[in-house]
Amino acid sequence: MLEARNLRKSFGSLVATNDVSLQFGKEEGEMVFIVGPNGAGKTTLINLLTGHLDPDEGSVIVHEPDGAGGTREQDITGLEPRERVDRGLVRSFQIVQVFEEMSVRENVRIAVLANQDLQGSVFSHHDRHEGVEREVDELLVEFALEDDAETPAEELPHGDRKLLDVAMSFGLDPSYLLLDEPTSGVGTREKERVIETVVEVSDNQDVTTVTIEHDMDIVSQYADRLIALHQGAVYAEGDPSLLETDPDLRRVLLGVEDE
Amino acid sequence: MFSTTVLASAFAATATALAGDASTLLAGWAGLPAPGSAGLPAQMSPRGFLVHTLNGLYFGFILFMIAAGLTIIFGVLGILNLTHGELYAFGAYTTVTVMGFLVGLIPPPTDPATQLLFVAVVVLGAILAAAIVLPLGVIIESVFVRQVYDRHEVYQLLLTFGLLFVLIDTIKLFWGTLPRNVGAVYRGVNAIPTTELVGFSYPSYQVFVMFIGLIVFAVLVWFFDRTKTGRIVRATAINREMSTAIGVSTNRVFTLVFGMGAFFAGFAGAMFIGGPAATDLEMGLNPLVLSFVIIVIGGLGSLQGAFVAAILVGVVSRWMTAVYPPAELAAPFLIMIIVLLVKPEGLFGTWGEIE
Amino acid sequence: MSLASVLSSLPLVVERDEGLRLRLLSGLELDRRQTGLLIVGIVLLFAMPDLAAILGFSFRTVSKGLMLGMAALGLNLLLRHTQLVSFGHALFFGAGAYAVAVLANYGGVTSSLVLLIGALLFGTTIAVFVGFLVAGHREIYFALLTLAFGQLGFAIVLGSQFFNFDDGLSVRIEGARPTLAVDSLLGAELSTAAYRILLYYLTIVILLALLLFTWRLANSPFGKTLDAIGQNDLRAEFLGVPVQRYIWTVFILSGAYGAIGGGLFALLELHVRPQPTLHVLVSGEILLMTLVGGFSTLLGPIIGGVIVVYILDLARFQTEFHNALAGILLVAVVIFFPRGIMGSSDDIRAGAVQVREDPSVLGVWVRELGARVRGGLRNAVVATKHLLFGAR
Repeated sequence: MLEARNLRKSFGSLVATNDVSLQFGKEEGEMVFIVGPNGAGKTTLINLLTGHLDPDEGSVIVHEPDGAGGTREQDITGLEPRERVDRGLVRSFQIVQVFEEMSVRENVRIAVLANQDLQGSVFSHHDRHEGVEREVDELLVEFALEDDAETPAEELPHGDRKLLDVAMSFGLDPSYLLLDEPTSGVGTREKERVIETVVEVSDNQDVTTVTIEHDMDIVSQYADRLIALHQGAVYAEGDPSLLETDPDLRRVLLGVEDE
Repeated sequence: MFSTTVLASAFAATATALAGDASTLLAGWAGLPAPGSAGLPAQMSPRGFLVHTLNGLYFGFILFMIAAGLTIIFGVLGILNLTHGELYAFGAYTTVTVMGFLVGLIPPPTDPATQLLFVAVVVLGAILAAAIVLPLGVIIESVFVRQVYDRHEVYQLLLTFGLLFVLIDTIKLFWGTLPRNVGAVYRGVNAIPTTELVGFSYPSYQVFVMFIGLIVFAVLVWFFDRTKTGRIVRATAINREMSTAIGVSTNRVFTLVFGMGAFFAGFAGAMFIGGPAATDLEMGLNPLVLSFVIIVIGGLGSLQGAFVAAILVGVVSRWMTAVYPPAELAAPFLIMIIVLLVKPEGLFGTWGEIE
Repeated sequence: MSLASVLSSLPLVVERDEGLRLRLLSGLELDRRQTGLLIVGIVLLFAMPDLAAILGFSFRTVSKGLMLGMAALGLNLLLRHTQLVSFGHALFFGAGAYAVAVLANYGGVTSSLVLLIGALLFGTTIAVFVGFLVAGHREIYFALLTLAFGQLGFAIVLGSQFFNFDDGLSVRIEGARPTLAVDSLLGAELSTAAYRILLYYLTIVILLALLLFTWRLANSPFGKTLDAIGQNDLRAEFLGVPVQRYIWTVFILSGAYGAIGGGLFALLELHVRPQPTLHVLVSGEILLMTLVGGFSTLLGPIIGGVIVVYILDLARFQTEFHNALAGILLVAVVIFFPRGIMGSSDDIRAGAVQVREDPSVLGVWVRELGARVRGGLRNAVVATKHLLFGAR
């Protein structure tokens, strides 16, 4: 389980994250969606969890099985992003971050090599690790990218670039996957395909996902749990049906203030 | 609009402030470091300390004038202009020619009136020399650098590196390989007394350059803070797309900024060669590298940073000449390393933004 | 038994669908044409001393070019993979050269192999320190810092009695050259020509080893991970790659290449001065070699090294204005052949074909270029007027 404990972060006078305490993955493989208007602190929260930013106060905790049936708390607040990756905490960015000049296969391979700790190997050939190649192939099939395997990332259509980005994250064998708007900039018809693929793969692998999403149809269709942020704080938390039952929530999400 | 008239009137005001009785004493070599130059023998009496500090300030102000152009160009265009040192050298050579001509036209500076005239002519000559260097910078930008804006920075570095070689030989073509100087300027300005201003005998020329350096700093700050053009340039530095969207021609801004940078490089060259120094075909390299060090210490693209760092580098390296001469050349780099370790973004660190 | 089956029983030969291949390293397998080229190349390299004598070019210049080319090969590790521009690589070249001079002068070391190991260790140590300080920086900042560190090394040597200031240090001990490994076999003291030829052979052996290692590195998971860092270091960090440590590592490696090149250079020149080894212009030349040869290729930096050193040496004898010549060459390469000789060969071939089919295309190109320059100049005149006399 991944836990945010009293996280607080300000930029000058702007409080981006205001005393946020949350738990993710209490039920293994749950699908959490974070919603909220622009500037609610959604991306900042992901940045704090993954180590892209350091919090002013509070901590990020990972609960790991201790081998005796219980769990052990591990404070990862001060760790570098890559050290958190080693603990299964993986993210994607709102803007596609791939290696543009590499082919789709090479992109995924980099992630798998890193995951298998082969990234530093000098005296072997990059595409001759059988275990790696097998996993790369599997990922390409899962994300329906096998036909574009040799296409440079920069030439892919946008929806496939998003999928490639997520496929690389899955190549790291994550326990917690934090996705910052995986469908942003994707056309309406493509959106469905992208999110379906993400849901399917994470279900198969029992990965806990935390996804920032603006499309409420997607949220109500796929969310196990919903967290609404507003002005840096948790405004509501619970079942996605809240979207229908809580009239205030709609207003907040649309950014309409009643003052 | 940024124009020479602003500078000229400011210089005239400074010149007035400098008028007084006559007395000169050469307090020490204070040009840019030459290989193996040992500086003054160590004399760290309070007076010696003061002289070294003043020499350092003089050195620092000249460095600032060089680094200012470099940091502005970097801040706005994101390009490290390796020809900058040669533009400075060009300014020095041009000054030798221009001043040699101008000084012969006016009476020797013996009384306040002729002294005032002399200083005015020196300032005018420096501006003229810098104005001759300016088109060179403009051509470098609009004919050459423009071709590689959208490429990896290695091309921008290498292009200006290639032009650096061409400029060295252009200087050789015009002025030959022998060292040149204009002793008349140094003697002439030193004939003007500044003892009362400093409190003891110190070459007036050095004091003069410090005043000019302060004015250059003030003018630049004023330009970027208060004028419309200055604000447009800053806006372009911060967000190119945005300024294009509001109808600013970034190409035009880039050319203007490069021209400005060349002007100040040339002007710094003029100020340097007016002092106790001679030209040299390799004279552009050291100031170039020192300017890099300065803008790293100050923060890339920051004008205030360049000012503080230039003074710091100037003063510390002059102190070193007195305390431990071998460290003089290395001192600026050591400051840079310390700054990098403690504050990697520089003292006033701003990326691509002129503060 | 057929020839093919005899060949395929050799340890280095493997059979693939396309036929027999020469297997040099895992993944590095050459087909017939490539094997032929490799053999011709190696024969040419070893025959260079005789070729130079027959064709009348300077063999010493070629040696020098290969040594600086080694530094360029090292620099290209950073440039090609991590896309970082080092503008201070002369520091490592100079460190290697000075290590040799210092060991010979102060340590009385005569064995060239010991001297070279000393060069490697010293240059690498410097790269460890400098790399630590610069590995956290990117883009132009990285170029600036490496340049500054290069110039710091130059300033230290220039101001220090230990390194004998501007005059530098001799590598000879009481007039005698360092010994190469095979001297004792040959008995009498080597003639200058024999010394240079043996040193040259030592150089190409080291060079071939470095090229093999470079290829291995470029095609290893580590090399590909460095490519990833160069293309998107943020993403690499979030894939769990220790970006800074990897940049540091490759920086140290690239410094080691430069140090070996510098050490060999000291053995060739037998006198080490700051100007031709440590100066910022040397750093620029090393970068230039990489670009002229083509930084996206393995051999580019070496070929660029020989060509640039040869042109510079030639120019020095031909004209007083050799700097301008080098500068114009550089500007032309940057603007017209950004991928260098090795990288642009297809473009050059295509251009040649176009000219052969229709020579008037040359005129069109010249006119286009003229228009570009005229446009730039016109713009320059307008901007100058604007700056000096205010807006219209």
